[in-house]
Amino acid sequence: MEVTLQIQRYLPDDDESRLDSFTVDAPETATLLDVLDQIKDEQDGSLTYRKSCRMAVCGSCGMRMDGAAVLACKQPMAPLVEEGRTPVISPMGNLPVIKDLVVDMEPFWGKFRAVQPWLEEDGDPPVKEWRVQQQELDRIFKEALCIQCGCCVSECNSMEADPDFLGPAALAKAARFVGDARDRGRMKRLQMANGAHGVWDCTRCYFCNERCPKGVDPRDAIAKIGGEIYAEGMLSDKGARHAQVFDFSSHATGYLLETALVPYTDPMKALDVKFALKMVRAGKAPNPLRPHRANKLGEVRALSKLVKEQEKESLADKRTGVTVDRENES
Amino acid sequence: MKSSYAYYPGCLASLSQKELDTSTRAVAERLGFSLVEIPGFTCCGAGDVHEARPEYYLHLNARILGQAEQLEQDTIMTICNVCTLNLRQANHKLREDAELLARVNKNLAEVGAATYSGGVEVRHLLWEIAEGDGYEKLKQVAERPLTGIRIAPFYGCQILRPSKLLGFEDPDRPQSLERIITACGAEPVDYPSKIKCCGFPIVLAREEVALGELIQPLAEAQAAGADAMVTPCPLCHLSLDAWQGKAAREADIDFDMPILHLAQLVGAAAGLSYDELLFKRHLVRTDRLTDKIYAETTQ
Repeated sequence: MEVTLQIQRYLPDDDESRLDSFTVDAPETATLLDVLDQIKDEQDGSLTYRKSCRMAVCGSCGMRMDGAAVLACKQPMAPLVEEGRTPVISPMGNLPVIKDLVVDMEPFWGKFRAVQPWLEEDGDPPVKEWRVQQQELDRIFKEALCIQCGCCVSECNSMEADPDFLGPAALAKAARFVGDARDRGRMKRLQMANGAHGVWDCTRCYFCNERCPKGVDPRDAIAKIGGEIYAEGMLSDKGARHAQVFDFSSHATGYLLETALVPYTDPMKALDVKFALKMVRAGKAPNPLRPHRANKLGEVRALSKLVKEQEKESLADKRTGVTVDRENES
Repeated sequence: MKSSYAYYPGCLASLSQKELDTSTRAVAERLGFSLVEIPGFTCCGAGDVHEARPEYYLHLNARILGQAEQLEQDTIMTICNVCTLNLRQANHKLREDAELLARVNKNLAEVGAATYSGGVEVRHLLWEIAEGDGYEKLKQVAERPLTGIRIAPFYGCQILRPSKLLGFEDPDRPQSLERIITACGAEPVDYPSKIKCCGFPIVLAREEVALGELIQPLAEAQAAGADAMVTPCPLCHLSLDAWQGKAAREADIDFDMPILHLAQLVGAAAGLSYDELLFKRHLVRTDRLTDKIYAETTQ
């Protein structure tokens, strides 16, 4: 099949990037990486990109195709040819470009290191091994699939606005250790993720889940950490207090108490009288003294209380990692 | 043709974004959709309860799904992206895990709430009028074409992603809003960030980050020459409309972009009046747009 790509080219001394067009005759089974290899072999040896394993394991060949991050080795080209598309191939987003399709991964690894992706133990290590139950492994199964390719980070909308945001890859890695039954650094990890550029920066755009080529679902991992921070009563961050208003109002009135959101999340913002008046004038500020109430409110109140009790049991499990057996056979 | 839905307006359309609920009801009447009220529905918990108390979130949404079932409705119609994802995600989890469904139902029964057997679909208004019979009906009711008006679609996140839970259309190249804009006689305006985030979920906790996200679609839609933007989500609407002034100051760009709810766009093309669609409840004045729409009729 004939495949045409437009590839974004960039050299460190260039003022801006340019698009080069290449057409190759590739086999039907060709992936994007195969096509790039063919271009490099046959047409332009200076084309620069990363690759290694060619089987979606090493995480080297993350790049964008028509603006969406993909692993080049996992992207079949036949469907695009059938659709008659001429895709634009460009480097991943949210990371500085070094040359052509190669980005500088150092900011990515810096955030990775910041979440301390190693086991924290107390006391002596086991002589033989830790025994982890299947259900404990299941808790972090998805997070453990990460190959650190950066596809999730490439499209993180929050990171575009806050480059210091720890982001989906590092936070999914943090979740992998928060949920590890052998790890003893859980509270320290939760405090770290509860910081200025931590979980509450996530805007829930779900680009990370959409782009991840391994099914890690980083947004869900971020939510797991947020849930544990909340369960531990760590409400110092505005993000956690924002969630508390939703929780509280769902059983206090059944509807979101919109007028409580601003003063409770961020009391300083409640002083923005000009903005508040604009909202009132447009009819966008419901009367706080006469909140909208759902019918059958007793049901949700009882439900919240009942589930709260069950949540406590599950939290106790997470705190202790009780079912880990230390086997001290000599 | 499907015509009866359990109607779930959610919190925002019931409270601050009342113009969305009012417009939806008016438009549904024109389209021949019968919206059945769900007595005693509550908040779906939004992304916040979903994150903070995932178990409770599941129960809240199972209760809503069960209430629809009790009304003998097989489909819930939503008008908010966040409600759509929340209800669909809960529905997915409950349907694929019989043990979980049984545990949740036991709790629901214990507090006297409706239990859920797994027989309800959750569909956004957008999907019901973007294809099939609903789309044909839309073309029929759009009797006042919005000729010469350029509208930038803004999808919002949780109607597109995660696509394995939403899955109505290609999340990277959606066309449903464009089809509806065209059916309403207006011209869709394309711009890159129409599928990106408006920043609303963190606008109170991280205003500077949220505004950074919000500026991009506003600036691109304005540069592309849009007369207005339209969104299927009341959260995106609030962000684009109410926070537009702050975004303008932050970006030092003079934004003047009226923001339409999807139901208002359809309503205007269906001949509903300015007052019926409650355009006066917007923070960014819609006059520049609505004067054009209603030029030949009295408001």
